[in-house]
Amino acid sequence: MSSDLSLGSVVRSEWIKFRTVRSTRTGVFVMFVLTIGLGALFAWATRSHWSSLSSGEQLTFDPVSTSLAGIIFSQFAVGVIGTLLITNEYATGLIRTTLGAVPKRMILVTAKIIVLVLSILVVTEIACFAAFFVGQSIFSGLVPTASLSNTTVVRAVVFAGIYLTLLCVLSFALGLIVRHSAATIGIFVTLVLILPLISLALPQSWRDHIVKFEPSELGNAMTSVVTPSGDMNAMNSLLMLVFYAVVALGVGTLLFQRRDA
Amino acid sequence: MIKIEHLTKRYGDTLAINDLDFEVRPGVITGFLGPNGSGKSTTMRIILGLDHPTKGRATVKGQDYASLRAPLHEVGALLDAKAVHPGRSARNHLRALAASNRISFARVDQVLEFTGIASVANKKVGNFSLGMSQRLGIAGALLGDPEVLLFDEPVNGLDPEGIRWIRDFFRTLANEGRTVFVSSHLMSEMALTADQIIVIGRGTLITQGSIDSLTANAKGSVFVRASDHQKLMTELKAHGGDVSDANDDALSVSELTSDQIGQIAFDADVVLFELTPQRASLEDVFMELTADSVEYGSSGARNEQ
Repeated sequence: MSSDLSLGSVVRSEWIKFRTVRSTRTGVFVMFVLTIGLGALFAWATRSHWSSLSSGEQLTFDPVSTSLAGIIFSQFAVGVIGTLLITNEYATGLIRTTLGAVPKRMILVTAKIIVLVLSILVVTEIACFAAFFVGQSIFSGLVPTASLSNTTVVRAVVFAGIYLTLLCVLSFALGLIVRHSAATIGIFVTLVLILPLISLALPQSWRDHIVKFEPSELGNAMTSVVTPSGDMNAMNSLLMLVFYAVVALGVGTLLFQRRDA
Repeated sequence: MIKIEHLTKRYGDTLAINDLDFEVRPGVITGFLGPNGSGKSTTMRIILGLDHPTKGRATVKGQDYASLRAPLHEVGALLDAKAVHPGRSARNHLRALAASNRISFARVDQVLEFTGIASVANKKVGNFSLGMSQRLGIAGALLGDPEVLLFDEPVNGLDPEGIRWIRDFFRTLANEGRTVFVSSHLMSEMALTADQIIVIGRGTLITQGSIDSLTANAKGSVFVRASDHQKLMTELKAHGGDVSDANDDALSVSELTSDQIGQIAFDADVVLFELTPQRASLEDVFMELTADSVEYGSSGARNEQ
């Protein structure tokens, strides 16, 4: 029957909800500003200090990851978007209205993930390519630049958008588990920002085994043209991050199915 | 039609609902009455599949809510008028709901018009008064033109005009053969609105039936004004009456009918100025029924019983 509820109809509903709240629009705007703006700032800072860099530093310089350095900050913008997509429903009580219309919870979660992944992937890829081009145009003439004619460079830029999208999904999954905005964002920041700081205090032999599994380090490996020493290669880092997101989503969905709304 | 079978819900140590069993029939307005905290909202949440029962089941048209193929076409519900995102406009809120069940946007405009909030449809819901939010919630419940409607405390926050509107509206829905299930902790409201009443207290069924049958079984009293209260009081007590002062100027008599009181007054040479049988109000019946099951009652209210 055409009037039945289906994944397609729920995706359409969730898309309406996603784009009609200001937090989404603000979050996407901030993501653009941080990705492109801070990327340009890092590029400009590199250019202005280029002559004072040692020849060794100049040799290992990566024009791609430097132009994408803004994602270190914009990952928090997408983290907030992913979190609020679910925790806002609990904060406002909307979840009960939503589940009244869509009682099949598996369909609801799937629809939310589809809307989140597609829309965030599109905007983050646009932002990352824009940051790449802005960065290279700032470098050009003085600092070595990278070109998209090199497939490894294309991979690094594309993976930057995927990295942001996966972090967004991870934060959504955390939100599904925790159901509280501030607590979820706190956990997300801990995973992405605090964990690397804590691991700095560990003995080097431990760090070699731990750091490469940290989400932020996975992102570093994914967006570098040459794999940083000690890291997994870009593809394995991507798969690791996908694994994290899937596990968190699995736990979150299971709890969502079982708990009272 | 809604069917509750041996429904039990436990939250930790709290038994919110205990072996509840009843049916809500189509074509009439069924009031769901109970003091605050008696399990009305929990029951409604379980009917809508929001909370999972510990034991028993709740079905709508013979099915679990979660297995309905197009829920909004079958059941319309308003549980909490403030359960909306404050930053979204009324129209977008309803459009999102409509889209999930493949309901047209033209229908969204229809229900906005019908509930009288079309003029504020593009305003953010966060700025709505409780009354406007209630109307938005009702608009949402009507989207799929459902046969079964559930409303949890729908008159809260409505102005007198709104309350009148909603009463007439429930009547229309019931007359169209729909199942209308309305909860309230206000018995006076239910007396005016409902045909059938289900009374619960502390999660258990206390009684159910039509308003008439509930009030008929309750003992009434007779309001009496007479020339010599002192004399009449003595005579009435001698005939087994239970007499008290209704106010400075009148007596309230129970255990005797107005016919008996008239005869007693005549025999005692007391002139009657007024003799009015008082039917127990639904409120009295309710107080009597739920006296032992008020979760957060004031001690005064209990001592009166």
